[in-house]
Amino acid sequence: MKNIIIKAAALCCALSLSACASKKAVSVTPPDGSLDKCELRFSWWGGDDRHEATLKAIDLWSKKHPDIIVTPEYGGWDGWTEKVTAQMKGGTEPDIMQINYDWLITMSPDGKGFYDLDALSGTLDLSGFDEDTLSFGRVDGKLNAVTVSLSGRGLFYNSQAYDSIGADYPKTWSDLIELGDSFGGEDAYPMDLDIQSGGTAWYLAVVYIQQKTGRQFITLDGELGFTEEDIRDALDFYKLLEDNHVIRTVKARTDEDGNAALYQSPEFIGGNVAGVLEWGSAVGKYEAVLPKGVLEAGPLLADDNGNNSGWMIKPSLLYAVSGHTKHPDEAAAFVDFLLNDEECAEILGTTRGIPASMKARAALEKSGSLTGLSKECEDMLSEADTITISPYMELTRMKSFYNAAIGSVSYGTADTQTAAEQMYRSINEYLEKIKK
Amino acid sequence: MKTRTYRNPTGVSRYTGLLLISPFIIGALLLIVYPFVSSFITGLTDGSSFVGFENYKHILSDGQIRSSAAVTLKYALILVPLKLIVSLAAALVLNMELRGIGIFRTAFYIPSILGANLAVIIMWQYLFTSDGLVNQLLETVGLSPVSWYGDPNAALFMIVLLRLWEFGSTMIIFLAALRDIPRELYEAARVDGCGRARAFFSITLPQLKNVIFINLVLQTIAAMQEFNAPYILTGGGPLGKTRTIGMYIYEEMFTYGDAGMANALSWLLFMLIALIVFIMYRVTGTLRRDG
Repeated sequence: MKNIIIKAAALCCALSLSACASKKAVSVTPPDGSLDKCELRFSWWGGDDRHEATLKAIDLWSKKHPDIIVTPEYGGWDGWTEKVTAQMKGGTEPDIMQINYDWLITMSPDGKGFYDLDALSGTLDLSGFDEDTLSFGRVDGKLNAVTVSLSGRGLFYNSQAYDSIGADYPKTWSDLIELGDSFGGEDAYPMDLDIQSGGTAWYLAVVYIQQKTGRQFITLDGELGFTEEDIRDALDFYKLLEDNHVIRTVKARTDEDGNAALYQSPEFIGGNVAGVLEWGSAVGKYEAVLPKGVLEAGPLLADDNGNNSGWMIKPSLLYAVSGHTKHPDEAAAFVDFLLNDEECAEILGTTRGIPASMKARAALEKSGSLTGLSKECEDMLSEADTITISPYMELTRMKSFYNAAIGSVSYGTADTQTAAEQMYRSINEYLEKIKK
Repeated sequence: MKTRTYRNPTGVSRYTGLLLISPFIIGALLLIVYPFVSSFITGLTDGSSFVGFENYKHILSDGQIRSSAAVTLKYALILVPLKLIVSLAAALVLNMELRGIGIFRTAFYIPSILGANLAVIIMWQYLFTSDGLVNQLLETVGLSPVSWYGDPNAALFMIVLLRLWEFGSTMIIFLAALRDIPRELYEAARVDGCGRARAFFSITLPQLKNVIFINLVLQTIAAMQEFNAPYILTGGGPLGKTRTIGMYIYEEMFTYGDAGMANALSWLLFMLIALIVFIMYRVTGTLRRDG
């Protein structure tokens, strides 16, 4: 009996060893060119506006393709990366996924993590995309994902709060800093930055330094472009915003909001925090919690000479098909529907930003629905001399370095020089490690 | 010598016993031994290829584990004694023969049933924000409000309070043990002129010492593994001062997707807990055996 148990335990160990040693064999189902009856899973993150529109789009799909059932899986951004990472590791990811730009590096470093969409050209029409836009989704020559929209962060303000103070939206960095005084008297803030999932604090500091120096923070191929002094200057700039009552300190923010996102914060909803730095493609959730028309887009901040370079754009989202899907044709057809279908484009509107697909864009232009904050933000960015965000800048581990530095500067546990040295070292070590 | 055979009309063979316990054996092998071994092996890889003890070296040379271990130990050191005292005090009260005591016993146990689920934690979040109910109460009695989320010490204490509030399960164990103490001991002591305090220290505590030890071990293990309360309530902040080892493991695995580091960390946590429990057994050994 003892022998049997020992043998069974040994077998378990052997199984464990073999499971760890063998690389997961991914069997790719080739396309057969026909649309068969099946069930697909589609996952995305977003705010309520995006959820409602996408669910309606799925209803439309099920009317057009009653045999292909699409099951939605959706939620907020917080924790979404973790969820999809776990699914990808376990091979249980949905057939179609809305993915973030940096996931291509972490989930498909060799281009084999997602289905090669070039192989699905029979059902997925990409003629409405230019090659530059498609190149964002290519890894190692394979088209892993299709860009849904290009987006960048812009500034949005609560017009009622600004009117009540009698202030104009800032046009330059100096204007922004002066606003701290006007709002400070009312114990309010002209805007807010965070170090939680959004990580907008470091983003704005990067824009400021990129504009000032002309250097890109991290290049597209993953080289740190900032010097240690640039990082220190960026942290100094952040501290200046806190010291001048332009933004809440990290401590004040956590006290007032706990762990909640800014758009769920009573301070933002009540107008005490009167501005936000947000992706043009995702600003709907901020717009929705304020009375209609209250949130307005403000100009991209420039230096005193009117130079507004340094602002950034990236593919806001991409659609990818699982490498494990058993229904590649049907999944591609659904992606095609989301990207190109005229009726679907009208339902989705700008809930994922201004569509990169010419077909969807034309549909929105025709129906006159290509308006709103997303469009205003995109127009401003397209007129400015923008920089394409490196996917390396967006990696979650990198964000932890930015947020640790901002947190320690804000709490005063480190001066900007020490925090910059630590951040510079951590970023270089990590970039070196992941590029091996 | 005649060999005894187990083949008999009732069908009992030498494998019958094994067959009967096989559900447990299979369950243990699949759900305990396999993940255990697999986790150790994954901890020796960078997620795909073998790297030896590199992950352990990296973890031990990095300041993050010291910071997380310090947070976890501090949390356990504050929470566990407080929880034992509060649950023992509650058990003593609920052990009294009072009218409607059953209702009180149930009421005190409810927080433990609720656990640290989302609804409770969201309620907790709003209680402790800067103008939340707790600060309003403090101001009502003339105390200055506390920066619960923003102050590193207060944030950890807030999580301690949440877990302290869930003292029901330890209380139930104490209550059951209290009810097992023979009444005659108290009666004899009273006849000899022993007061309530003396009876507590000379009868109740010695009678409860094994149960106290069990609760101490169970609560320490649970505290060392703390994850969901800081994860939802503070996200590990401010400045990582509520980032327990459990959160560190989670971040490595799911936020950064580094299975090797996460599994190596899990093993370090396992060894740390094993060491603490071993020390507890050693230190309390004589105490538990005597008398």
